Amino acid sequence: MNIVYLTLGLIAIYLYVSAASLLWEGVDRKLVARMQRRMGPPILQPFYDFLKLVSKESIIPRDANKFFEIAPVLALASSIALLAYTPLGFEPLLATKGDVIVFIYLLALIAFVRVMGAVSSGSPYAQIGAQREIIMLASREVPMMLGLFAILWRLSKLGVEKPFSLGTFYQYNIWEIGTPLTVFGTFVLFIVFLLWLASEIEVGYFNIPEAETEVAEGPMAEYSGRHLALFKLSSALKEFASASLVVAIFFPWGISGYLGLTGIGAVVLDLLFHTLKVFIVLFVSMSVFRAITGRLRITQAVGMFWGRILPMSFIGVLLIVIDVLGVIA
Amino acid sequence: MTLPFLIIIPLFGAFSMPIISLFGKKLKEYWALIISGATLGVAAKIFYTVWKTNEIILYTLGSESPIGKGVKFPIRIVWEVDLLGALLALTITFVGFLAVLYSLGYMKHDTGLEKYYTLILILELGMLGIVITGDIFNFYVFLEIMSIASYALVAFRNDTWEGIEAGIKYMFVGSVASSFILLGIALLYGQYGTLTMSYLSLKIAENPTLVAKVALAFLIGGLLFKSGAVPVHMWLADAHPAAPSSISAMLSGLVIKAGGVYAVARIVFSIFNPGLHAYLKAFNMPSINMEAVGWVIVFFACLTLLIGNAMAVVQTDMKRLFAFSSVGQIGYILLGIGIGTLAYGSRAGELALAGAIYHIVNHALIKALLFFVAGAVIHEVGTKNLNELSGLARKMPMTTLAFIIGAAAIIGLPPLNGFASKWIIYESSAMYNPILAAIAVVGTVFSLAAYTRVLFTFLGRESEKVKSAKEPEMSMLIPMLILVVAIVVMGLLPWQINDKIMLPTARMLEQLNGEYMVALLKFLGGA
Repeated sequence: MNIVYLTLGLIAIYLYVSAASLLWEGVDRKLVARMQRRMGPPILQPFYDFLKLVSKESIIPRDANKFFEIAPVLALASSIALLAYTPLGFEPLLATKGDVIVFIYLLALIAFVRVMGAVSSGSPYAQIGAQREIIMLASREVPMMLGLFAILWRLSKLGVEKPFSLGTFYQYNIWEIGTPLTVFGTFVLFIVFLLWLASEIEVGYFNIPEAETEVAEGPMAEYSGRHLALFKLSSALKEFASASLVVAIFFPWGISGYLGLTGIGAVVLDLLFHTLKVFIVLFVSMSVFRAITGRLRITQAVGMFWGRILPMSFIGVLLIVIDVLGVIA
Repeated sequence: MTLPFLIIIPLFGAFSMPIISLFGKKLKEYWALIISGATLGVAAKIFYTVWKTNEIILYTLGSESPIGKGVKFPIRIVWEVDLLGALLALTITFVGFLAVLYSLGYMKHDTGLEKYYTLILILELGMLGIVITGDIFNFYVFLEIMSIASYALVAFRNDTWEGIEAGIKYMFVGSVASSFILLGIALLYGQYGTLTMSYLSLKIAENPTLVAKVALAFLIGGLLFKSGAVPVHMWLADAHPAAPSSISAMLSGLVIKAGGVYAVARIVFSIFNPGLHAYLKAFNMPSINMEAVGWVIVFFACLTLLIGNAMAVVQTDMKRLFAFSSVGQIGYILLGIGIGTLAYGSRAGELALAGAIYHIVNHALIKALLFFVAGAVIHEVGTKNLNELSGLARKMPMTTLAFIIGAAAIIGLPPLNGFASKWIIYESSAMYNPILAAIAVVGTVFSLAAYTRVLFTFLGRESEKVKSAKEPEMSMLIPMLILVVAIVVMGLLPWQINDKIMLPTARMLEQLNGEYMVALLKFLGGA
């Protein structure tokens, strides 16, 4: 019986997150348009785009192999699986001890499947985009993992029932510890995570693999019709999931407790509140960042990750570690 | 008693092959297939028996009891099969059977096939002998049977220069290694006067002399040669690419395990029992410092897994890349065995051993699959140079699928079997010493890079050479698909397999209660 509820829950979450993430895309386009003194598209534009792409003919290049058609399905499948491990204002559906690794793995897998699909298309534009995407993937995950593991390790010291699970953020949060070192370390890590989020959804500085004007949409160069629609949907889901991670780490507070709600009402309210927080985080990390910064070259971006963001992550982690181990009293 | 048939059947098959081959061209191939299939059946039966009863099978050649008349010690050759031996026998016969099946199509264009099938059965026989024997000289004999058969098989295509070159290199290096092992055995026999492993372990514990330590050094040194650990891995990187692919699959999947890491584990745990020596040391009695042995193994393991995987990244030859990756994976297995020795009796040690054993089985399946894929590519396209191959996926979709599954499994992606075994090794090494776990993870990063590179050549744009390629025939595809199914199914039940099979195997190998010795001592008491 439990597995039936889980399946239903996953379907419900999937439908909700698809709607919310596409809605956010519309809001984002509107906001960026307004920042540039344009009218912008209607808020529901991404839904129309999606429907139009689904209805269009999908062109398979002559040089493509079977994986070209499988990749969009796999990408969407891994994004849906990712939702089962994503904290959305309440514990993830499949929260177990150590599920953070599954989360990171699925997040990386989506990018990797995109790359494999691009390579399978046989187009040199897609190949170049794929190489860039792989380089970005290898650079951006290291500071994020370092920070995430450090915070989860810190929280597991407080005696949680499922250590290294993304559910632990709803038991304790990192600000609760309250010592100056931890607060400062957490703040440093927050900046790292905002930058990571921008690179994960590839906006602003980090819009490198897809760079429209340079390599003609990079990995997506040969995709059209419903295959492209599946990819668009899966990146929207991934965007929401990555932002949810940032929200869950740094702002896990729900409001249902204050209003004295329980049961299904509390879940829905927390989900809505969580969505609002995701939109705010995305506003900072996506809309503003996209409107005010240009694209870096791939070498500059890699240099930034290994030269700036990784040391920053190290500093944040060290501060937390020093605090826990009590090296300086 | 089914145990002797594990040796009788392949021996009979090998010796009857020259006669059978007189009767028809096709007959010898089917005869080899029947023989290896029957061996697989026997091995499955033995594994099931040992696993069900959880008791060591002790079989004496030529008599009821290994104990001599009027003396109180074993004088006959005994075969002692614990779960590890039975599990290895099952893996060997399974991969061996698939390799024979694969050879039907793969070796079609070669001549001298009756010799080929004789040798492949002898190779299997040698490995089976190694994993079931409880007598150290018997072990040496089977090791030589296996080694000589594999020298001959590496150089089987004696009209190619690389086959001959690799064969000579392998033979010279392997003979030196074998003589080290023989020297070690001779020293042990001279000091203690017995060749039975379990009785030897008792004798060594009674009186651990310098000679025993020197012998241990010779044995481990020789066996590290045979398993392709790093300073002495150079033969492997030549022998595996040069051999026919069905043989590479057996060499990489089985020979370096049965003749290498299995034997290391058997000698470290069954002849020199770390627990027993730690116990002796606690009472200030003379003992052998097994901690030092553990660190030596861990040192070579770390070297092996770093250098093996890093060398795999820079290769341009597909089979050479797989060969270096095998070296890297041997590093993980040795790491598990080393930590099992160091952290003997603790949870980390037990987990590390279970992980090592699990990885032996997993790597045998995965690497057999990968070499079958490489063989199919060579057979159809005629080159194994990665720079000339590109875009195979369109012409050979099933082969590409098999490669993707194999590559993902060897890197250790979650829904496949490589994940669980590597995870257990990481976890136990992190429990023992986090630096070792970090080294292991770095090794995996290298292997990820190496296999991603090959993946890009399978996908991508079609090159000129690939234009006329097609899928290999059924007898080559079926073994690949069987292995793909095995890898996926094992990947779906990782913790069940670990709890039901690998942990009991590790416990039996660890012999916390001296099970390996007790199996023999029962006869001593009753005699």
